[in-house]
Amino acid sequence: MKEQLVGNRKRARFQALCQSMRPDLLRFAFWLSRDRALAEDVVQESMIRAWKAQDSLLDEAAAKPWFLTIIRREYARTFERKRFPTVDVDELIAAEDPELSAAQDQDLAELRAALFKLPLEYREPLVLQVLMGYSTAEIARELDLSNAATLTRLFRARKRLRALCGEDTRLDPEE
Amino acid sequence: MIDCSQFRRALLSDPRDTSAELAAHRETCHDCAQFAQQLQRFEGRLERALRVDAPVRQVRPPVRRVFDNRGWLAIAASVLVAIVVAGGLWLAVPGSSLAADVVTHMAGEPDAWQTTDVPVPGSDLRAVLEHSHLALKPDVGVVSYAQSCVFRGHHVPHLVVQTADGPVTVMVLVHERVHMTTQFDEQGYRGVIVPVAGHGSLAVLARGEATDPKFIEQIAARVESSIIWN
Repeated sequence: MKEQLVGNRKRARFQALCQSMRPDLLRFAFWLSRDRALAEDVVQESMIRAWKAQDSLLDEAAAKPWFLTIIRREYARTFERKRFPTVDVDELIAAEDPELSAAQDQDLAELRAALFKLPLEYREPLVLQVLMGYSTAEIARELDLSNAATLTRLFRARKRLRALCGEDTRLDPEE
Repeated sequence: MIDCSQFRRALLSDPRDTSAELAAHRETCHDCAQFAQQLQRFEGRLERALRVDAPVRQVRPPVRRVFDNRGWLAIAASVLVAIVVAGGLWLAVPGSSLAADVVTHMAGEPDAWQTTDVPVPGSDLRAVLEHSHLALKPDVGVVSYAQSCVFRGHHVPHLVVQTADGPVTVMVLVHERVHMTTQFDEQGYRGVIVPVAGHGSLAVLARGEATDPKFIEQIAARVESSIIWN
């Protein structure tokens, strides 16, 4: 009886943790996939996997990287299961138009469209840094890169993004 | 001491970098201070751009059956009886296990059953339907819930349509072919599974025994005629 109560409490706690993480995980999956429906699927499948593997999460403070790793693996799995046709970026932008134009101003919509055009190798570390609040070392660990390589990708990501957005890049250093 | 190029490169890599070296350079270089300010504004916009809408949905544990040791004997006996009964029913009522799976799925989605006149955002509904290559004519009524659910290994649209008699749930089962319309009444749910020529089947169900099966069939016909199969 006591064990069952402890188990129930543990499950409720984990459920609350999943609930609190879900919005950011969905955003991360969206920026990985650039596809709202696919992001929803990836998060849903990841939650099921997380639920089954909850005993392997030993420290709740480490929940965010733990969930993100599951999301990244699940996203990679979708490509193992199904080979998606190559889609032009403009088509992707058009498909996600409601999402992009949901931005309050044109400025944000343009920035989102520019993010769509950023290659994954630059987009992913940038999302981890800006949206998920990861440090350089944490990004490097998650993406299995050196710190120097991570910083280079982040530098190139911002440089390209600023150019795509028509920012004044005259003061930007050369690569 | 770092130069301007190093300063800007460091900041473009990590605008939150607050190292003393960067701060010292910023103090002495007007152009770099201006660059840092401009980048800070850009970062604010970038963060807002990344923070796309993430609709709140209830996270629920996956349904699983847990047996204890004492239950095994009873389970074994039940399985034996079930094999005999199911063998007969399988021939008599094709698709009955499909109905059971539909009901089990519904029982795991209690939040979907709210009576409301607030429709689900159009973009959410479109995303769910497009994922299954479908669209819906607006005459179907208020769709208050739309989710792409994993059902029998496939992603299927799970919708809730508000009717005068309360919410009715619809699952578009493109991968489930049935040969005839089957009514079911299980675990407090009444529903119908109807074949859709060339597109699998449609499961429609309502809660409560008071619901008239004829009414559910009418809803099923209305939903079927509103679906655009792409």
